[in-house]
Parts: sequence; C-alpha cells; structure tokens
Amino acid sequence: MGGKVTCTLGEVKNRADFIVYWGGNPAECHPRHFTKYTLTQKGRFVPEGRKGRTMVLVDIRETPSAKAADLFLQIRPGKDFEILTTLRALLKKQPVDKESVAETGLTVDQLQDLVDRMKRARFGVIFFGMGVSMTRGKHMNSAAILRLAAELNAFTKFVCMPMRGHGNVTGSDMVLRWTTGFPFGISMARGYPRFNPGEFSTVDLLVRGDNDAALILGADPGATMPQPGIDHLARIPTIVLDPKVTHTSRLARVHITTAATGISAPGTVYRMDEVPLPLRPALKSPYPTDEEVLRRIRQAVGAKPSWSPAPNATMASV
Amino acid sequence: MLRITGGKVHDPANGIIGVVQDVCVAEGRIVPQVEGGRSVDARGMLVFPGGVDVHTHVAGAAMNFARGITPENYRKASPFIHTPELRAGLGGITPTTFATGYLYAGMGWTTVNEAAVPILSARHTHEELHDIPILDKSSLVLMANNEIVLDLLDAGEVERARHVVAWLIWAAKAYGVKAVNPGGIVAWKFGKNASKLSEPVDGYRRVTPAQIISSLAGIIDDLGLPHPLHLHCNNLGIPGNVSTTLETMRVLEGHRAHMAHLQFHAYGGDGWGTLRSEAAAIAEYFNAHANLTADAGAILFGDAMTVTADGPWEHVLHELTGHKWSNVDVENETGCGIVSYTYKERSLVNAVQWAVGLELLLLIDDPWRIFLTTDHPNGGCFWRYPELIRLLRDAEYRRECLKRLPSKAQKRIVLADLDRQYTLSEIAIITSAGPARALGLSQKGHLGVGADADIAIYDENPASGRMFEQPRYVIKGGVIVVEEGQIRAVTQGREFIVRPPFDEQIEAYLRPLFEKVYTMSFDNYPVAIERLAQPDIRECRP
Repeated sequence: MGGKVTCTLGEVKNRADFIVYWGGNPAECHPRHFTKYTLTQKGRFVPEGRKGRTMVLVDIRETPSAKAADLFLQIRPGKDFEILTTLRALLKKQPVDKESVAETGLTVDQLQDLVDRMKRARFGVIFFGMGVSMTRGKHMNSAAILRLAAELNAFTKFVCMPMRGHGNVTGSDMVLRWTTGFPFGISMARGYPRFNPGEFSTVDLLVRGDNDAALILGADPGATMPQPGIDHLARIPTIVLDPKVTHTSRLARVHITTAATGISAPGTVYRMDEVPLPLRPALKSPYPTDEEVLRRIRQAVGAKPSWSPAPNATMASV
Repeated sequence: MLRITGGKVHDPANGIIGVVQDVCVAEGRIVPQVEGGRSVDARGMLVFPGGVDVHTHVAGAAMNFARGITPENYRKASPFIHTPELRAGLGGITPTTFATGYLYAGMGWTTVNEAAVPILSARHTHEELHDIPILDKSSLVLMANNEIVLDLLDAGEVERARHVVAWLIWAAKAYGVKAVNPGGIVAWKFGKNASKLSEPVDGYRRVTPAQIISSLAGIIDDLGLPHPLHLHCNNLGIPGNVSTTLETMRVLEGHRAHMAHLQFHAYGGDGWGTLRSEAAAIAEYFNAHANLTADAGAILFGDAMTVTADGPWEHVLHELTGHKWSNVDVENETGCGIVSYTYKERSLVNAVQWAVGLELLLLIDDPWRIFLTTDHPNGGCFWRYPELIRLLRDAEYRRECLKRLPSKAQKRIVLADLDRQYTLSEIAIITSAGPARALGLSQKGHLGVGADADIAIYDENPASGRMFEQPRYVIKGGVIVVEEGQIRAVTQGREFIVRPPFDEQIEAYLRPLFEKVYTMSFDNYPVAIERLAQPDIRECRP
C-alpha cells in the first residue's frame, strides 16, 4: 500500500472523460475547479467540453455540487472505506456480500455500475476531499481511494488527486519535503528531522500541551483546532505573522503584521497538483514580508551563542 | 590562495598521470604560481579533479515526490545534525537537498547534472538546486514527449520546432535537453507505450520515436548546445531491448548524443526468465562510433528508488514487484513514475543487471566516452560510487562478488572473462574529466591553469579498496570545503544554463497554443533569471 497515481490539472482538462468527486463540495469549496480544470473546459482530447465528460459525485449529503453531477451517489457517513474496498473487490471480480454492502447506503448494482463506467473511461480521475481523508478511517480511506485509482490502470488510464485548499499548504509540504524529507509532523528537537504524525503534528502537540512557544505563519489554528489546543496557544508565548487580524492573532502574545503574499509581496505558490506558480505583487505594502521578518528573527537568534553541544559536529557517515 | 604540495596529480585532460607536482589556487581557479597563502601537504596523497556527475536526480518534482512517499526509508538514513554552519537533513536513498550537497562534496564530487526537469515545474527544480550547497549544478529539460514539439515534428515543421526547443530551454533556465522514452510517455497518457522506433507515436499520424530522436539530436547540434541530446532510450529495462538500443544508436549516426544509463538498455532474451547480458554487442557498436558518449547507470545490490519520467515503465515495474507505485503525468510535456525497489544478489534478473553495468564499463574501450553513474537513485545511491570504483579497479574482488550470484546468472553474463582493471587515471577520466568534457564544461574536470579549483585529494593506499570513500580534502572553487571527513565550509555553487538563439516571434506562435492546452498563464511559464542565485550562462556555438 502507498504511492499516488496522479497528474497535473492540465491532463484532466485535456483528457479526462470520467470525473469523480468524492467526499467534497467543489462547487462551494473550490468554485473555479469545474470551470478552469475539469468539467466545462474544452480539452485537446475532449473537444466537446462538458458534453464529452461524465461527472460522478459521491458524498454523504446532497450539496450544491450535486447539481453539476451526471450521477450522484449518496452514501452513509463513515462508510467510505467499505465502499472503496467493495469497488476494489468488484474490479477484481471478487464476490461481495449484498447485505454488508447495503449498510453503506448503496447497492451492489450501483457499485457494479460505477466500476463498469470507470473501466470504460478513456481517462478517469478521482478527486477526493476531506470527507474521505478526515472522517472515520482517515488515512486508511485515503490509501483505499489511491489504491482503487492505481488498480484501475490494469484496465484503463486512471488518476487520483486530493482536493487541497488552505492557501499554500502544498507549498509548505514541498519545501519541508526537500529540506527535511517529510511533508509535516516533523520534530527537529534532536537537531535533525524526525517524522511522526500523531506525535509531532501540530494538533497533537497543542492538545497535549507539549510545546512551550509557537510561531504561526499563514494559518489560523485558533479557528480550526480543538479547544484544548486553542487554550494552549493562549497560554504560551504565541507569535503570529499575518496580514490580517485572525482568531489566532487575537489570542497571540505578539502579532506582526506582514504584507499579503500575492497581493503586496512576491513568492511562489504551489497548486494542489504541485505545480509552482510565481506570485507578482500588484500593490505595495508598508509592512515587511514574512520572509523579511523571519530573516531578521533568524539573524537575531543567530547572534546568540550556539545551543549546539557540538558546533562542528562530525559529518555523518552513511 | 592555496598551494597543494607533494601530491601525485592525476589530471588526464592535461596528460598528467600520477606526477608529483604542486597545484596552486587563487581566486577560485588554478594558477601557475602563488605567493603565500595556505599550504596543504599532500605527500602520500592523490590529487584528482573534483568529480562531475553527468546524470543524477537530486532535485525537482519527481525527487520530492519520492521523498514524500517513503518516510520509512528515512528511518534507516543517516541524520545530518544542524550546526551553526550546516543545515539539518537526512541522507539515505533520496537525500534532502542540503544533505545532497554535503554527501557529494564529502565524496569529492563538485559538479552535478540534474537529468530530468519538466519545464512546467522548472521553477521548483531551481529552488531545490539553490538549496543544494557547495556543488555547481546544471539541469536538462524533458523534450521528447512535449506535445507542442511533437505536433510540429508531425507536421514536418522542424525549423519552427528548433525555435520552440530553444525558447523552452531558456524558459526553463536549463542547460540542455533530455529525451526520455521518445513518444512513449505521451502514449502513456492514454495507457499505451512506444516500443517500436519506426511506428508512428500513438495519437500521431506520422511522427515516430526514431524521428523524434533524430530531429531533437539535429536541433541540438544546430543550436550548438554545449551538451548533446541526452537520451533515455525506448524500452528501458525490458528483456531484449538491445535491438531497440542498437537501432537508436544507428538513428543517431551523424549526430552527437549521450546515451543515459546504458546498463538498463543492454539486455537480451525474450522474457524475465531468459534475460541475459548484451553488453558486448552494445560495446562493440559503441566502440566504433565516436559520436556517442554514455553513462553506465550501473546497479548495486541493495535498496534503491526508481524515479523516471518513463511512466509506462514504472507501471510495468509496479505490476512485476507489487511495490508501491506513484505516477505524475505532466500536462503536455512529460510524465513521471516512482516505484521503490531493492536489487537482490539472489535474483537472476538483478544479478544480470549488476554484471551488465560493470561489463559496459569494462568493454567500452575509451574511458572518455563512458562515465560512472548509477542513475541515482535508480540503480543505487550516488554515495555508493566508491563501491563501483573498487569493483572496476580489482578484477579479483569482482570475481569474489561473482561467486555469490546464482549459478544460472553466470551463464548469462561475460563478466568473469574480463580482466581489465581501471587505472587511477582512468578513474579520474570516468568520474571527472570525461563527464566534464561531455557536458561541455571546459573549466571542469581538469587541473590546468584557468580551470575551476575543484579538487579532491585522497590518501594513496593501493591495498585498500576503500580509499575513494573518504577524501582527505575537497576543494571547491578554491575553498577547502571538506577536511578529514568533515564539512569545513559551505559555499553556494553556480547554476550553468544556456540561452540558445531563437526568433523572438516564436512567443507569438506559442502563446495561443499554450493558453489552449495549459492551465497556467503563458507569462507565468518561464522561470525568471532572477530566481537563480548564481546563474552562469554558457555559450552556444551554432
């Protein structure tokens, strides 16, 4: 298990004739997705645009995205893993138990129909949202949906992509990966990167109250974290860099107002498909950029004597 | 200023083979004489030009994808603890960027060529290259499945294709052109491949892989790029692919070309059970055709990570191994596949692959045309190069290793019959002087006056197979960066790029085409030169 079979969004625009959105509401959460990348664009190999594509929505409730879909499959909450696993079984012509399948809110016939349509696609894609990755089963759900897409490649071309959001979260992933090897949940406490989601991820640290200070950039955990985590942020010295007043900046000890990246500060943003885009500021800002503030903090910290017990530590032997 | 005294100098580009002489350095370059400054006592040591890696994967979207999906590999990786001078990181199979710089430099290598960059994410590649300290870098941009280029070739518009290729190279701020599985990746976007060189590419009327290869090689010769077409042939890794490789080399007659990771393209047999080495057939052709250079792409037993633009091959490998598979198709340009892999001594296939890499290095006569690589991290990690050097220098040791292979494999290879042992000077050629020349980097790979002062100094210890594992000193651009196995200074290297000539009007042609098929605005596509910390624009000679 593991791995990800995916593509950049232009491949979807140019080639996809079968598009599944699962556990997400792109019409409201990614309002430009349909028109820029997936549904209505005329693609090189989909010259008819919307008419040349089939869209399936799988979700626990009928959201406004359902209006855009050719087929809406309403499933019971928390049954994503069961359905995905059943689809994988049907793909491999394995027997499935009708009664167990019925508990998911769908019938075997509906799932068989979905499998058949997927196999008939010329280029299929599954976009999955937090309804898959952040509900019961979590990363197991993500693994199951990624496996389904990978296994479909024995029959036709199929790819899969998480519907990411929250500003430049992908960019943060990318930089952390090339500097530390890991996308998030990293501890540098021993002087080198260690990865353990659940132990070192932000929400866990905050809820347990493990950290004694916080520096927060481009995020508003005060709006989204569980209450014990928010309480902890209020308890410790919290420093926020943000162009705006946010829930987090209100509870922070220090709020440094910075220029808004993309509006008045340059930079690079990574799209959900990991394609980097340059940001060219349209306006000037009286405030410093995040980068400048961090550079100055780093300079000031660097002027202090080293904490390291071995300032000329031996290069590790491989 | 620096004077290296009493060392045995191996500078094959200048005909100096193990001569005891001083090497003087000032302002980052080799000079005839210096007055004063530090002196390094190199008595009992070997003085080599710094290593040059002609084909490696160290930065960009594919490597970063591989990093992200293999946290388990980092559990075994050596940690780099941060100090006031050094950044933290992890070594292992896909080292982090800072660790990559420290590891290469720590081994005596000072220049690397990142061999596969999609233009769409070139901006990302340059950001990672910036974060690889000490080394000088260059990068090659993927072109043999670029649909705008292929459309032009299909329509027979080679002249316009030349302008497009030149524009794309400059847009990506690249140094040269890489062709991967020509036509195969574009076919893979609907689940197919291109296994025959003379059949039209799937979805195209006329253009064949052979035409893509010869057109690109011709375009690159016309543009006068310092490095020729850098080619990953069709049918990589497939039993019996020797015929494709030989046919490809025939297509290239009359052009310069660099054959990447040749080991993966020199197999006979008609299935995995009958796989055998065809290194001899490849070497025979190669020896007679001076228009070609190659790198070995040797494999070493142990863990590796297969990362390539060759998407269809990685799907095959996934089906063979069941190992986790990742794939990223890049709109209109290329693809990328990733499967983690372990080469096992007991495996018949892996044993043959291991032998083929060494056989090519031993059977190709001219060390100036075959270079030491493992196609990092595909055949093994770059930090294992010293193991390969030992195998090349010691026929007896090779035979000992051979004994551990399955007896069935012994009949499929010719390695046992090869007595050649590389001399120190030949090692300097295949690790530095040769690749520098193939890359067209005239100031690299030698220690003549005016060359960049990139120098690796090793203890001379003929009895030890391990002398290349840890240099005593490494000098990069005149600065002692490694001493006694420790990083002493961290410098920022340059990035070599080219600006081949193109008609400025080509943008007017490209813009509407681009905006139709891409999902990014045309103005956001090129990487601005300001994004590169230390660009060094090299001359093209059309």
